[in-house]
Amino acid sequence: MSDPRVTGAVRYAQDVELPDMLEARIVRSPYPHAGIARVDASALPDGVVVLLPDDVRGLGVYGPQIQDATVLALDVARYAGDPVAAVAARTAREAEQAASLIEIDYEELPAVFDPVEAAGDDAPRVHEIAEVSENEAAYFDLRPQPGTNVCHRFRVRQGDPEAAFEECDVVVEETYRTAGAQHVHMEPHASAARWDGDRLEVWTGTQTPYNLRSDLARIFLMDPERIRIVCPPMGGAFGAKTFVRLEGIAAALARKAGRPVKCVLERAEEWQTLNRHPSVIRVRLGAKADGTLVAARFRCWADTGAYADCGPGVAQKMGFAAAGPYRIPHVWVDADCVYTNLPPNGAFRGYGQMQSTWARELALDLLADRLGIDPVELRLKNVLHDGDRYCTGEEMHDCHYEACLRAAARAVDWDDARRGKGVALLLKGMQTPSRAEIAVEAEDDGTYTVRCATAEMGQGAWRTISLLAAEELGVDVGQIRYAVPDTDIGPYDTRTTSSRSTYVMARALREAVRDLRANGRRGHGMIEIPGGLDPDTGQGVASHHWHQGAAAAEVRVDEETGKVEVVRLHAAIYAGRVVNRPGAELQNEGSMIMGLGTALYEEIDVADGQVTNANLSDYEIPAFADMPERLTHDLIEREGADIHGLGETALPPVPAAIGNALASLRLHVTELPLAPEAVLCAVDVREGVRA
Amino acid sequence: MSPEPEWLQPRSLAEALDLKAERGEEATVVAGGTFVGILMNQGLLAPTALLSLARVPRLDGIEANGDLRLGALVTHRAVELSLVVRERWPALARSFSVVASPRVRNQATVGGVLADADYASDPPAMLTALGAVAVVRSSRGERSIPIDELIVGHYETTLAFDELIVEVRVPGGGHRAAYRKFRSRSHEDRPCVAVAVCRRGDDLRVVVGAVADRPQLFPELCDPHATPGEIGLAYADAIEPLSDIRGSAEYRRRVIAVEVRRALEEIAG
Amino acid sequence: MRLTLDVNGTRREIEARTDEMLMDVLRRELGLLSVRETCGIGVCGACTVLVDGAPISGCLMLAAAAEGREVVTVEGLGGDDPVQRAFVEAHAFQCGYCTPGMILAAKGLLAEIQSPSEAEIRESLSGNLCRCGCYVKIADAVRRAAP
Repeated sequence: MSDPRVTGAVRYAQDVELPDMLEARIVRSPYPHAGIARVDASALPDGVVVLLPDDVRGLGVYGPQIQDATVLALDVARYAGDPVAAVAARTAREAEQAASLIEIDYEELPAVFDPVEAAGDDAPRVHEIAEVSENEAAYFDLRPQPGTNVCHRFRVRQGDPEAAFEECDVVVEETYRTAGAQHVHMEPHASAARWDGDRLEVWTGTQTPYNLRSDLARIFLMDPERIRIVCPPMGGAFGAKTFVRLEGIAAALARKAGRPVKCVLERAEEWQTLNRHPSVIRVRLGAKADGTLVAARFRCWADTGAYADCGPGVAQKMGFAAAGPYRIPHVWVDADCVYTNLPPNGAFRGYGQMQSTWARELALDLLADRLGIDPVELRLKNVLHDGDRYCTGEEMHDCHYEACLRAAARAVDWDDARRGKGVALLLKGMQTPSRAEIAVEAEDDGTYTVRCATAEMGQGAWRTISLLAAEELGVDVGQIRYAVPDTDIGPYDTRTTSSRSTYVMARALREAVRDLRANGRRGHGMIEIPGGLDPDTGQGVASHHWHQGAAAAEVRVDEETGKVEVVRLHAAIYAGRVVNRPGAELQNEGSMIMGLGTALYEEIDVADGQVTNANLSDYEIPAFADMPERLTHDLIEREGADIHGLGETALPPVPAAIGNALASLRLHVTELPLAPEAVLCAVDVREGVRA
Repeated sequence: MSPEPEWLQPRSLAEALDLKAERGEEATVVAGGTFVGILMNQGLLAPTALLSLARVPRLDGIEANGDLRLGALVTHRAVELSLVVRERWPALARSFSVVASPRVRNQATVGGVLADADYASDPPAMLTALGAVAVVRSSRGERSIPIDELIVGHYETTLAFDELIVEVRVPGGGHRAAYRKFRSRSHEDRPCVAVAVCRRGDDLRVVVGAVADRPQLFPELCDPHATPGEIGLAYADAIEPLSDIRGSAEYRRRVIAVEVRRALEEIAG
Repeated sequence: MRLTLDVNGTRREIEARTDEMLMDVLRRELGLLSVRETCGIGVCGACTVLVDGAPISGCLMLAAAAEGREVVTVEGLGGDDPVQRAFVEAHAFQCGYCTPGMILAAKGLLAEIQSPSEAEIRESLSGNLCRCGCYVKIADAVRRAAP
């Protein structure tokens, strides 16, 4: 029985045990916005270690893109759940009991929970200043708007849509909303920290070891080379295990305690740690009578919660991908990343592109309906081909959007009947710019050790990279050993996000093997992916290569209850070249199922700034019995093509395909999730019994 | 560190009842333990004593001579799989079979689900519709409580501090019954609206569960000569449903009308 | 309290609080780290263990309640379990966190229904959540494991 996943032998970050280790629990603000007047731990018993604001006041401010975070909230708590203190003890239970003895005085402040409202001039300010970070995760020019809660504003300015709308035969306008969502990775966040003199070692479930190291160095005012990050495999992540999460608290406690400290979150805390950006997106689309798209205007508000995290990047991607894989000569986008007094939002599979795909693809079907043109035909008429320019000004190449769309439509027998069916087409960017490095070492016994910082979270990257190495070296994959990522030993990589890892590592591997062949024992390869956008105009190179896919859905609606049943769901994803076929299939299937959850069940319910459904009974993710009758997918390959990452691609188009399937029944719902109650409202509207 | 609870494991019903009388609310009764486990894991319950019924004999039998008699420690799974229950009280077997997951059904008991009085549980609504009674014992004696008189509010029963449910009796005889569970989200979700109906000759009982603090039964609305649709609308009008993430009160009313009608249509055919 | 548990075919004497759940005791006292917590409320199945052959939530059964009963985790399945093998052949996992619980749930199903239908597989395993979304291949694994 070789696979540790079926024998239970996998050791995740939560399983790390270090000699003399203490376990930590975090004390969190119960208020969404409050001054912290007094934190008193005098009642705590001896033998527990407590971390108070004054213990971390002198530490550095951090944040991947905006420097707005401190290890503990200092003087102001900005969301219900903001860490205010922490306790380490022999067991988590003891730490919990000690933590309950900490007395904290709060003074409630006005709070804001909606991004459109928060972007306004009169909204309560979440942060007084938004200072741009100086680390490599701030890979684009940030545009915080002083005096407001807008911590980044991204714009696309291509042509003149306002004038062009005048020339259009049909213009549609609609506002779309998507709810917040939780990643619900099965393994909770877990980090362990240990000091060895002035060196810090951290074992943590993270997708971003080097970004994490960089911010920890900033926090502890250290040289990053004196910080070691080790990355055990994760029990799922989907974007949640990125940048600094628990590591700052664990490390600060470990330093104070003089002993290693591990912190593992309780499930309810996950909704207070990192979620997906809720969005409000206003779309205006204009076309000629023959279906030629002429102009598009997008206004996006991404609710980033109380700390920016990588929200600016999410808003930027939401914005630059909003126009979709279509030729539209006039495109303006305004995408604001806005602070609110809610838990922070950050990377979530799809990275802003689920939200803009939802809005755009539904608006396209509205347009198709108004034009009297079939939605597939409308898309085919405008879809990007090689040589076309995107709204960022970049020339598109390697375009397979048409193939994806045709495959998806065919999978649901689009030509036979249209009722109850919907399609959606996706254009998604890959982290640009970035840098990836990999080392390959020849061992004495004929095996090879591969070292890179790509983290394993179930996406099969370790296996795929091993297969690629075996291919390059011309050996059996059994000769390859993938070393657990360790920043002390392995080389740099930007991070394991954005479905980039197999693509960049494949290219870096070619260099590394060439280098190994030249010098015998150790080869090193690096690839730098150039590009980037001007944030004020959106012009430049948004993505080195694009992730492409389409989804089609067939639904049945119980029009007396509004319950939607997805009968058939298909995703056609451009893969280029598939290296790890079972892994690629699993990623497609998993993305589609997660998309189903986004479409039908998942929303973070908030009342007065409190998450009210922070458990897996009140927050529902798809289960076995929720599966569509038929769930299928294509991995589209082309001879001689490059690997295309597909860890996320099949997620964003799924909700939009389902929304468009409802639209084909004249049921117009503009918000995600598609709760039966909202669908029933749409039935009423269609039947004329409700406005 | 807080002291661990006292572990009480009586070996007879008499001993269990004596302990219950002695400790009252201070002893948390553990039958299957799923509900108690959830409360403890969530930090909502820190018992000073745990009273396990696991070693009390003769509470886990299923007998069906005429009436159905389910021992209080019979698991949900045993009811679900019982051939005699499936044959003669199929809707009851179904109402137990749709609870949560096989894991929960392997652990949770007939007595426990009634004593917990969770407003969203499936079996209480079906047992109410079937006219079942809970047989309850204390060291003072025994009494029978119709299920709709047992569960009176949000996680609230009329059990006295010294009483334990020992058995549930479901009337036999010809009847047509159905159980419907409407989830507004995942198949695994707690129900948004649940409906249990039972007709014995001219006697009709319609019970709506999961919409209020207790199963909703309105005998005056159960007119055997009214149409399913009429009864559905009447129930929707009479109930003040709760609002939560699964649906607003207004939405629940709409679904109540539909699901009651559908349940009655199921048994009409 | 001192408890005697029968775990994976061996009698084990362990120390546990009376209010401890079986999952915590199996992990801490016996190092059986395949039994994992995700939700703490019995809905996700990551903590599934077999107790007298029946799937049970390890997070909801008091350790004391498991005394005198046979407890099985995947560590106790031995080297050649057909369900484990079927999961490997079908590639029915990604991150692997839910996999032990899923395997034991599948064993519970197959003990009851030799050749379950697609509907029976879905219904029976629906209480075991997999966020990575491996349901398609898990169904395939269960079909392969059935005779």
